[in-house]
Amino acid sequence: MRATTPMTQLMIGALASAPPSAGVQPYTLLHGALATRLERGDVELPLPPRVATEVLALTRDDDADIGRLAKLLHQDPALAGHVLRIANSPGYLPRSPIVSLQQAVTHLGFTLLSEIALVASMQSGVFKVRGYESELRGIWQHALASGGFAREIARKLRSNVESAFLCGLMHTIGKPLVLQTLVNESGKLGVAASRNDVRQLIDQFHIAAGGLLAKRWALPGAVCDAISSYASYTSGTAGPREPVITALADRLAFHLVDKETDESALRAHRAWVDLNLYPEDADHILARTDTVRGLVESMLL
Amino acid sequence: MSAQSIDHAAASARSIDHAAASAERFDVVVIGSGPAGQKAAIQAVKAGRTVALLEREAAIGGNCVHRGTIPSKTLRAAALRATTPLDGAQLAPNIEVRSLTSQLESVVAAHADYMQRQMQRNGVAYLPGRAGFVSPHELALRSVDGSSRTLFGDLIVIATGSRPREPREIPIDHENVLDSDSILSMIYLPRSLTVLGAGVIACEYASIFARLGVDVTMIDSGPRPLRFADGEIVDRFVAGFSRNGGRFIGGRKIASAAWDGISAVRTVLDDGSEVVSEKMLVALGRVANVEDLDLAAAGLAMDDRGQVPADENCRTAVPHIYAVGDVIGAPALASTSMEQGRRAICHALGLPPGHAPELSPIGIYTIPEIATVGLDEGQALERHGAIIVGRARFDEVARGQIGGITDGLLKLVADGSGRLLLGAHIVGEGATELIHVAQMALLAGFGIDAFIENIFNFPTLAEAYRVAALDVAEQRQALAAAPPAADRAA
Repeated sequence: MRATTPMTQLMIGALASAPPSAGVQPYTLLHGALATRLERGDVELPLPPRVATEVLALTRDDDADIGRLAKLLHQDPALAGHVLRIANSPGYLPRSPIVSLQQAVTHLGFTLLSEIALVASMQSGVFKVRGYESELRGIWQHALASGGFAREIARKLRSNVESAFLCGLMHTIGKPLVLQTLVNESGKLGVAASRNDVRQLIDQFHIAAGGLLAKRWALPGAVCDAISSYASYTSGTAGPREPVITALADRLAFHLVDKETDESALRAHRAWVDLNLYPEDADHILARTDTVRGLVESMLL
Repeated sequence: MSAQSIDHAAASARSIDHAAASAERFDVVVIGSGPAGQKAAIQAVKAGRTVALLEREAAIGGNCVHRGTIPSKTLRAAALRATTPLDGAQLAPNIEVRSLTSQLESVVAAHADYMQRQMQRNGVAYLPGRAGFVSPHELALRSVDGSSRTLFGDLIVIATGSRPREPREIPIDHENVLDSDSILSMIYLPRSLTVLGAGVIACEYASIFARLGVDVTMIDSGPRPLRFADGEIVDRFVAGFSRNGGRFIGGRKIASAAWDGISAVRTVLDDGSEVVSEKMLVALGRVANVEDLDLAAAGLAMDDRGQVPADENCRTAVPHIYAVGDVIGAPALASTSMEQGRRAICHALGLPPGHAPELSPIGIYTIPEIATVGLDEGQALERHGAIIVGRARFDEVARGQIGGITDGLLKLVADGSGRLLLGAHIVGEGATELIHVAQMALLAGFGIDAFIENIFNFPTLAEAYRVAALDVAEQRQALAAAPPAADRAA
């Protein structure tokens, strides 16, 4: 398990002292409140999703079997329904309709199911922010696309495949936490931030918030690195690849989900060079966009 | 020479001049910056030549530094640190692999930095990119950013190394079924691991993971691992591997091996039995990195093993192109590759290469280590008719007892007279260092008695040389004292 990194601490400190650019009063108040809370670690951190945690533990259990996994999924009707929906989706091509969880578990496999469980239970159970459902959905959509692209990048690099999906999926886990905290703080301060302010504050504080959550949830070191460093890794320095893979996956996800960048700008991103991915490697990864889109569509609640 | 061939030669020379004029020109272009390429580049620049060193990966050093030798040895060192040799203590479950290789980044960075500075200091032009021949003297170098340049080399050295072979019938996804490049990118130490193959890489990783408490099964079609090594030494290794919980299944072919999509990698053997594990390492040989080179444009072709054919001086069928290191096949060791790089340049530039190395030691970083030099028992019998083998177990020497290194064995192979040293074979911690004593003795022509008549530090594992030499001397005395066979029969 990793403690909050010095980089994260530094970032929190800098944000706390820097005047916000927007200059609007609710924004300023919320900016100060968030910076203070994150600096003190005084944020209401949710517990990790119970069913997902148990499913993940089960996959690492010597005695794990499909029956136990099916039984566990039965405890969460929403998750069970989601699993059945995915098992019957065109992407997984069942020969005949799948009607039981036992069938679904057998058809989808242990690893995929544990991923589905993690994704679904985080989407549905961990963060609830009334009035911001579409923002939350957008955050999960981006996270899923990042996870999918990270896996494709890692496979091309022939390393870090196992950690890549998790790093991509979790790298913005601080965003829903910031959103939830913002809503709570708005109520306490009696101010209302605009949607634009909310977006800006999420962007500014999600890395620090993600660091706190990663520590609380005891996420693997690679995921902690991806959360804290994906947006600020230094080009040309030796170090773990996960933050760089995640940074590139993040941009690819913006391209896919938000149509944020045109392809030439995407291809000019420094992470391609930092990962030693040549233009033909970029072609290969971009050609996997439909696969990633399929993953997002099937896993998004 | 006929008028036609003179015309052809002149045209060829004009073509080369034209190519050189439009390209960046170097006396020597070396493709690949692994051990072989580096030594070739340094030897050439020391000889006063202008040198370009091309590398397609992100950093200098090749697989040796970034994916192979150094990473696996770092994990090995961590495994030995994390588990005591006396009680074989198990690590906590679910340990992150990166926690075991925490030193790796700094080791690799320091090594790469040292090499980079060495190249700069010597004036070697280090040029990153993927190189391919456009003619026998010209190479197109494409950078990762998509830009391209053309280089001309009077002399070209191919040192592009190798990568793990991907058997068509075993899908490697680098997540559940891994190769030696991706094995260290697992998040957690697996509960169980199947290793396909029983060569050097397979045995090294199998023994390291077994030491770390992973339930390892190593499977191979041969009857025993490391078929090129001394049988008695290998038996000792297998016994140590088994004591650490490993299992070797020999003489079995793989009917199928794949991730079952649910929870395990399932390997079905030709006798119908099945081995189930959480992860799999496929270590069934390596293939040369030639796919970017467009060898045909240089007038070269691969052999039927997918390697670049070269003679004893590492010269290919095209006289100004040499090939060194893994790309020409066995022995594919970093140590021999370095020497190939140096000697290739010496040969090409007409420099005296020094005596050809008659004896290359082989070091295998298994747990415990294995090292060998010179003739094994079979080779010695074949060449000398009769032999005497002296043995020393590490539990017979004080340092072995002090250090808890008691499962080692050192063998000296002598001729039938028991005086001429022919080879040495060692299994046990420190073997890869100890072997150099025997190598120097063989090169200097020392006899068995040199180990008896000279002084070794006490207590050291090197004392095993004296114990083994005394064993040889005792056997030769017994043979000398024994009556001739005819008398015995009477």
